[in-house]
Amino acid sequence: MSIIKTCNIKYSYDRKRIVLNNISVEFDLGKIYAILGPSGCGKTTLLSLLGGLDSPSDGQVLFQGEDIEKKGLAWHRKNNVAFIFQSYNLIDYMTPAENVALTSKLPPLPVLERLGLTKEESRRNILKLSGGQQQRVAIARAVASDAGVILADEPTGNLDESTAIEITNILKECAHSMNKCVIVVTHSTELAKNADVVLKLMKGGLYAWK
Amino acid sequence: MGFMKRAGLYCIRQRFKTFILFLLLTLIAAFMLTGIAIRNAAKGAAADVQTAIGGKILLDVDTDGHMGDGQPNQWGGMDYSYNGDYITQEIVDAIKTVNGVVDYNVEEAAGYYGAGVNFKYLPSSLGLSYTPYGESSSYTVTLSSEKCKAFQSGKYKLVEGRHITANDKYTCLISKELADYNKLSVGAKIKMYSLDADGISDNSDGISEFEIIGIFDGTEGSSGNAMLADEIPANCGYVDYGGVEDIFKDNDGDDGYSQLSIYVEDPVSIQNVYDKISALPELKGKTLKLTIDTEEYDVVSTPLDSLQTLMNTILIIISAASIVILTLLLTIWIRGRKKEIGILQSIGKNRAAIILQIFTETFIVAVISFAASIPFSNMIAQKTGAYLLSGIGAETTSLNVQIDAAYLLPLYIIGILIIAVSVIASSWSVIHSKPKDILVKMS
Repeated sequence: MSIIKTCNIKYSYDRKRIVLNNISVEFDLGKIYAILGPSGCGKTTLLSLLGGLDSPSDGQVLFQGEDIEKKGLAWHRKNNVAFIFQSYNLIDYMTPAENVALTSKLPPLPVLERLGLTKEESRRNILKLSGGQQQRVAIARAVASDAGVILADEPTGNLDESTAIEITNILKECAHSMNKCVIVVTHSTELAKNADVVLKLMKGGLYAWK
Repeated sequence: MGFMKRAGLYCIRQRFKTFILFLLLTLIAAFMLTGIAIRNAAKGAAADVQTAIGGKILLDVDTDGHMGDGQPNQWGGMDYSYNGDYITQEIVDAIKTVNGVVDYNVEEAAGYYGAGVNFKYLPSSLGLSYTPYGESSSYTVTLSSEKCKAFQSGKYKLVEGRHITANDKYTCLISKELADYNKLSVGAKIKMYSLDADGISDNSDGISEFEIIGIFDGTEGSSGNAMLADEIPANCGYVDYGGVEDIFKDNDGDDGYSQLSIYVEDPVSIQNVYDKISALPELKGKTLKLTIDTEEYDVVSTPLDSLQTLMNTILIIISAASIVILTLLLTIWIRGRKKEIGILQSIGKNRAAIILQIFTETFIVAVISFAASIPFSNMIAQKTGAYLLSGIGAETTSLNVQIDAAYLLPLYIIGILIIAVSVIASSWSVIHSKPKDILVKMS
């Protein structure tokens, strides 16, 4: 059974411009999904609907067969999914360790260490870390949350090529070693190549690519 | 990580903002504490005044319709004199037995007029000389000068000697101004020619001698441009009832007091005592009238009541201004924290937890600020209280303004309400934005 799926979801801005039209798609654990498409086609919107940051105009998002609206979107975001954003979205008055502790009751240092941050770096001001390090912290926060689904919006968009490869490998590890369902919205062909399933969003419809 | 820990981290890491908030909240708390302290001091002072003055019931002769037909006088006019009942000793004795009555006094303003035989009054502008010894001035005839209105209200204060009591005979109190003018002191004896000498025994020359047993001040600066001597407060004094009664003992018809002040133990039960006195058989059918007197209490308590009202208004204004200022400050800061709020929402923190975090951050600073405002408030409260009291015309009333630890409770209650309203108002729009919209805009 899929961990998360959409059932005929529609989304439109001001009920005029339809962005997503009757999309039904299923996502499984242990796989990394890449969603491609031109800018403004609704990739981030689809991710937001899967993560409960927004509600569809029509249709349902089901997590383990249950409508995510039933227990509330905040509950869904807290317990079922974790986000990784292009701009990292870390809280700047907290250290990396404290940012990770936002979503987890487990000690954050081992998670950060596993993602390549030293203890000293984990206690440093977040703004004194490089972009790659900040994205590792964001991934650590997602991993530590114990959520089954990781939703990543352009996670390598702000990173150089070598760091982007490292982040891609970490996301693959999350899917394959930690048995998470990783759904990545990206423009990166490198990341798409490493995905188990590639989906393309065009003119409101979602099509399987790979 | 819970909202409490997040709030604590914010306060520690955002030191500049915390310091600004600390200063603002300390200022608000200082104004609040000062307001609460002054209001409570005024309330306490009013209660003290009520206890000190107690309740007072007045028994007077009822002159309405009891002034006789009149007798033609030497100037072609008519002289009228009261022909009704006086307050006899029998009536006084009956009143003393009423439960709740603690004391009584006679205070007959201008009950005696005397011209100075061996002293002079402060001069008036007309300077009339209608007795062989010049102009006369009025004296309040009393059993106890201490209980007289001017002394009770604090207008006059005894600065030398003692007060007149019921056992005194031929004693008087004069003003310090008059004493200084004539170089008189306590123990000196003054002679006065009574304006009503024609009503005194034929054997008398109308001159009586009084011993000065006390000197009071409070008349200074109130003489103005008086036309007659008895219009100058410094010329008016107090004489004992015993002496005056003795002077006029042969005067027909004056058989008792014309006015009696009855003091009641508990001002709250004054109506009950009034009813009991009214029902006394000794008063039935007599041409006397009984009234509850609140004049002295009103004179002293009115400015205190005004001060309480003023402080209540000021507290409301301070609270409203605090809400506006705090809301504006927090609104600016919360707009700068949109991204943080979006992040917290994206990881599943609900709106209540986010508002609670912002509330807790402000509350943590408030707890320290409110405590820090105590010494600051202590410094300004006393001076502000005295200034406000003089501003509303209550120079004679003292106000003990002190910051009590008990005031912290209302301060914290009002403070928490102000913070709660400000936090909700300032975070409302951001908290109600969709997390997706916040994060997309931030990206």
